[in-house]
Amino acid sequence: MSRTPPSAYRTAAAVGIASPRLQKSLRGIQDRFGKGAMALWAGLEDKELRHRVKAARLRTLEHLDIVLAELAENIRARGGRVHFAASGQDAIRYILEVATRNKVKRVVKGKSMTSMEIDIDPALAGAGIEVVETDLGEYIIQLAGDRPSHIIAPCIHLDRHQIGALFTEKLGIDSTDDPPTLTMAARRALREKMLDAEMGLTGCNLACAETGQISLVSNEGNIRMATTMPPVHVALMGMERVVATMDEHRQTLQLLTRGAALQKLSTYVSFLGGPAGTGDPDGPREFHLVILDNGRSRILADPEFREVLACIRCGACLNICPVYGKIGGHAYHSPYCGPIGAVVTPLLDGINKHADLCKGETLCGACKAICPVEIDLPRMLAGLRHKLAYGSDRWNTRQHSPAEACVFSLWRLLVTHGFLYRSLIRIGWLLQRPFVKKNKMIGTMAGIAGGWTADRDLPPLAGQTFATLWKKNYATRRPPAAVTGNEEGA
Amino acid sequence: MDNQNAFLNNIRRALSLPPEWQRSAREVPALFAAADTGPILQRLRSRTAAEMEQLSELLQKNAAALGITTHVVRSHEEAARVVVELVTSKQPEFSDTKQIIHHDHPDLAALQLWQHFAREAVTVHTTFGADRQLREKTIASFIGITAPAIGVADSATLVDLTGPGRPRSTSLVPSIHIALLDRKNLVADLAEAYALLREKKPPDSLVFITGPSKTADIEAQMVHGAHGPREVHIIVLSSSPAAAAAVETDNPPGN
Repeated sequence: MSRTPPSAYRTAAAVGIASPRLQKSLRGIQDRFGKGAMALWAGLEDKELRHRVKAARLRTLEHLDIVLAELAENIRARGGRVHFAASGQDAIRYILEVATRNKVKRVVKGKSMTSMEIDIDPALAGAGIEVVETDLGEYIIQLAGDRPSHIIAPCIHLDRHQIGALFTEKLGIDSTDDPPTLTMAARRALREKMLDAEMGLTGCNLACAETGQISLVSNEGNIRMATTMPPVHVALMGMERVVATMDEHRQTLQLLTRGAALQKLSTYVSFLGGPAGTGDPDGPREFHLVILDNGRSRILADPEFREVLACIRCGACLNICPVYGKIGGHAYHSPYCGPIGAVVTPLLDGINKHADLCKGETLCGACKAICPVEIDLPRMLAGLRHKLAYGSDRWNTRQHSPAEACVFSLWRLLVTHGFLYRSLIRIGWLLQRPFVKKNKMIGTMAGIAGGWTADRDLPPLAGQTFATLWKKNYATRRPPAAVTGNEEGA
Repeated sequence: MDNQNAFLNNIRRALSLPPEWQRSAREVPALFAAADTGPILQRLRSRTAAEMEQLSELLQKNAAALGITTHVVRSHEEAARVVVELVTSKQPEFSDTKQIIHHDHPDLAALQLWQHFAREAVTVHTTFGADRQLREKTIASFIGITAPAIGVADSATLVDLTGPGRPRSTSLVPSIHIALLDRKNLVADLAEAYALLREKKPPDSLVFITGPSKTADIEAQMVHGAHGPREVHIIVLSSSPAAAAAVETDNPPGN
């Protein structure tokens, strides 16, 4: 269809669609978690829970300055240090300073999409620091030199044979493709790394301003290791990942673990507000919280997109999206993939740069239906398309395709002028004749229209339009007699 | 702090507020207004022994679904026997010697575990606050024993509060975690647990533990023991009905 080379999105999507292994895994995860979450919401005893949490998330965003100031004050009162980072560069600089001051040689990371957003690994490596991912899926991805493709199942695109071969090569274990054996091999390898590291670097699922704590969920226990055993713990959080009160925390947490993996609670929920206290026998000497803007305040400022900051990053929308379910996570070229990624990635990193993402989604509404906090992603996907169609100064977005805009202006002219429209249909009907095949379908079209018929036939324009047929056959018929005994009479 | 002001001013601009208006929590009291947890606390403190027994049964049922083994005992002696049986029957994962470590807690001291291993090569450590070798002892131990402050029946969750004598690593680094849960610390659901935490003011560090460490990262197959303990045992210590009644009067409703 297009004469320009296919975009990175299309290329990666084609690879995903062509992989039977990925298709099987995606089907598996969507069948289990996508359908499971919908059933969970339908059976929720507290019908208002999602609604209430959404309202609380929006209220927090409207008062984010207050809530963050409160959080910072209460964490400092616990002996933790708080750094506000306007940009990814600023956050990296601060974390490198902390690492250098503490003579850190190895950082163990607990799964953090925010750290991937700011791309801190090369900076740490550049300072001679070894970076080790500790979530099993992320560790596998790191060993393979690959990129994660799902928020809670990062290596969903790899199968046990590939992982077995990888472990034999990198960890020197005997060849096996047994998941428990592979998991135990990683357990032993990572245990040493985690016990010896000088710094743990994690994200933050939900901070609570009232208590001055961050909280982190995990099933594996890697996050607890990374926040307990190294002498320094640095947590990096997007500025919207905060709630005001404990009550909000509880309700939001319950939606997070259910939305992510249908769990009442994940195996571990750690609440951390500061370094080891006096008398505490273990825990880090230093605790740092880095609160990151990096483009989020621009989203906050736009009422059209503010709602996306209410996201709690459970990944439920990936588990139901028909597009993600086919193309997989790599096509999104971002730590944030799936429907949420299709909205948040362009907003954080450039709407033009990621133009394919919002265009690739279907607007079917499944992501909105499954979202634990009822975020209207389809509305925002359409909003992003609007920015691409008309350009936007606020978002530094230029019109994506002036030619397309021309076509649509022309289309508007046609459909609002009946005579022009009918004449053109007539001309089209005449022009199409050489293209109609024996099966009465159009098999090939010329120029840029060729894409329409690359994989399928199109029915030709009909000789008589619907309007003509209607006039001829139906317009003079009387409507059926009105049904008596309507609701008012009942 | 300058950083913070610039950052928050930027947020205020995004919210179309005058940038120099440094509003605070006092100006929007509704934001931090907390629901009254009095009725919840009253409810959880006025449970009868029969109701506590029901919660205990609910906990066992939910724990089983998560792969947690529960043992119900009536006395510290009985609890000690459960621990001894586990220490004897299980093998260390990362070392050749049998070492176990437990929190410095009256209920755990009452087990007098060291007495039970007079004839066996089992070393029993206690996490005393001043112990500089705590880290090494914890890493060397294959069983860690804690006495959670709260147990949640609805989700089979244990709440361990960090503090002097109660390090974070005891329930994490050893391969097997045993929790001695006094039945009177059992609550129905997370809302009750949060109400209790709120009343006590949460310490700098605490953890909810719901089952053994697990992962499903390889082809979605569930495997226990990713990084944390691969086994969790809950020993529910139910005191006599008379003792339970005494606890109730110790904590009059609404206090």
